[in-house]
Amino acid sequence: MDIGQVFTLSALGSQFLVGLSRSMILFIVCSGMSFVLGVLRVPNVAHGSLYMIGAFSAFSIANLFGGSSVGFWLALVFAPLVVAAVSLIAERALFCHLYQREHLMLLLFTFAIMLILGDLVKLIWGAEYRSIVAPPHLRGSIAIFGSSLPRYNLFLLIIGPLVAIILWLFTNKTKIGKISRAAAVDREMVGAVGINVSWVFAIAFVIGCYLAGLGGALVAPTVSITLGMDHTIIIEAFLIVTIGGLGNMWGALVGSLIFGLTQAFGVLFWPQFAIVFPYAAVVIILIWKPTGMLKSVW
Amino acid sequence: MKKACLAVTVLFCFSILFFIYPSSSAAKPIKIGIVDCYSGGATTFTYDVRDAFKMAVDEVNAKGGVLGRKIEFTTRDTKFKVDLGISVTKELIMRENIDILMGTISSSVALAVSQIVKNEKIPFFCTFSKSAKITGEKGHRYVFGITENTSMIGKAAAVGLAKKPYIKYWIAGDDYEYGHALADGVWGNLMKKRTDVKMVGQSWWKVGEPELTPYLTAILAAKPDAVIFATGGASMVNIMKAAKATGFAKKIPMFVHTATELSTLMPLGQQAPEGVLGTSNYHFYFPKTPENNAFAEVFKKAYGRYPKVGALYGYIAAQFIMKGFEKAGKVDTERFIDAIEGMKVGSPVGEIELRACDHQAVLPMFFGKTERSPDYPFLIATDITTIPGPDAVPTCEEIKKARGK
Repeated sequence: MDIGQVFTLSALGSQFLVGLSRSMILFIVCSGMSFVLGVLRVPNVAHGSLYMIGAFSAFSIANLFGGSSVGFWLALVFAPLVVAAVSLIAERALFCHLYQREHLMLLLFTFAIMLILGDLVKLIWGAEYRSIVAPPHLRGSIAIFGSSLPRYNLFLLIIGPLVAIILWLFTNKTKIGKISRAAAVDREMVGAVGINVSWVFAIAFVIGCYLAGLGGALVAPTVSITLGMDHTIIIEAFLIVTIGGLGNMWGALVGSLIFGLTQAFGVLFWPQFAIVFPYAAVVIILIWKPTGMLKSVW
Repeated sequence: MKKACLAVTVLFCFSILFFIYPSSSAAKPIKIGIVDCYSGGATTFTYDVRDAFKMAVDEVNAKGGVLGRKIEFTTRDTKFKVDLGISVTKELIMRENIDILMGTISSSVALAVSQIVKNEKIPFFCTFSKSAKITGEKGHRYVFGITENTSMIGKAAAVGLAKKPYIKYWIAGDDYEYGHALADGVWGNLMKKRTDVKMVGQSWWKVGEPELTPYLTAILAAKPDAVIFATGGASMVNIMKAAKATGFAKKIPMFVHTATELSTLMPLGQQAPEGVLGTSNYHFYFPKTPENNAFAEVFKKAYGRYPKVGALYGYIAAQFIMKGFEKAGKVDTERFIDAIEGMKVGSPVGEIELRACDHQAVLPMFFGKTERSPDYPFLIATDITTIPGPDAVPTCEEIKKARGK
């Protein structure tokens, strides 16, 4: 194969944009996971299951409206809320009793929750592959840099930064956000000044899980909605959160960008062994900066 | 007094055994164990195998069973794991005393289970795993292939692709045994039929990779004449979605095994790309024979969905098992195997032979392309070329060579 043919500006440009849009989905999911990890110190293995529930809920909601555009937008709004409701129940009924336990216990506990949620999804939605379609104006592709880029990926490029801005506003400009950040640094102190930490934790948990649901709903039109999608995302999410800096939301953004872009460029440079690139990046970063790119709150 | 009591009790117990044993042995059911993956994405395929098998068994049981005995079956979940597959297989053989074993969708589980049944002398009907090794180099007296395998897919795909004018091919797929075996099968056979074709590049992604767009945009940049995609499971839907979204399917002809299969096309509805080439063992709407129509209708009535390719495998396995015992005349493993070697049974896709030389079901393959249909809310396969079973299976000489004989 002619190498010059592959490394054209057009190919590099389109790979960059495609990688960037993948990073946005990863960021949305991982920022939620990182938020929970930072504020609650819970390594939530079930985060991937909530992402899966988000995708399946999006399918059900979109299906209620016969796969129309309205259905898609409503799915995008309500599917994450379904996930938020599920997580609120889980938090109030189960998680809130366990925050003081050691991390290994929490890891095992959330692993059990992942298995239970996986089976629940199978009971509710069955074993078939599901799929939803994006609205007509987000379907198909447009030519950028002389190569075609799916319109939906461009939409993700808008949504990703939007979520990042809202998260920044929330954590920096709202009282609850500030308390959450404080709790991430020193939760005893937050409790000592008379703040109801239990509810702060519940809200932080629900927000983190909402983001998982949003990620699931956003990814739904581009993939097959299937059992097992939780496993795929959770491994990547843990890697991203680790290389970004545990519990640091902006670390999740940096990690997602590294992961998404190394994958996209790896595919272009050495397609046969493209799988290795993002993981090699993870290894290099962890050797170079064992606590991740940005400051870990742990 | 005590002694007399004991004697009476012992006598009573023996008499019960004496009366019960013959009657229970006469009505003892034929037991079949199914080990398969009933968790995760694989279930969309394995449920069809199980449900069609149950449908066929229920029908025979309603008529009094086989050799006057009912057929009973029990399932175990392997969760796609080899160790679990091995332990549930042993459990079924040791504790459930099964007469026949069936399953599984994972080739690695199937190969491990195949070793066990070889030692335990239990016939094993492999219903969905596609590795050509199962009935090829690792084949033996107790294992039977009731599904297409990578070697058959390769041969069938090559027949279809050799007629196309493409020269420069790109190969891409899921980076695991099935993906590579499939790609090797298609490419090896295509090169035998056409000496002018050449491979310009390959890309491989991890199993279950959700985002395939970067792979497609990279392939678009390399501009091959056609692409052979070697994907399975959920990646099938992902690749079709990415191909549609990037406009890939319109720019570069693509061959994807099972692209035309219902498991792939149904979830995509009208949003599947048109013109994608694919192969499959089964379509509920083709061939339009009374047998196929009746099978599809009964299945849909029973389960509320159209039968997918797994349903064909489940149904055929049931036919071979039941007809095999009937022909053997009694429930005896060795006589059963002798009976089904070379046996032919009717099926929705015509008469299927279970070849004696390698115990492989000689299934026909349908090469077609995706197209919208006014009759269904999803795309279907059209322009179907039927590749007869004997043209798709490896020859008995090739099998002997593979087994080192």
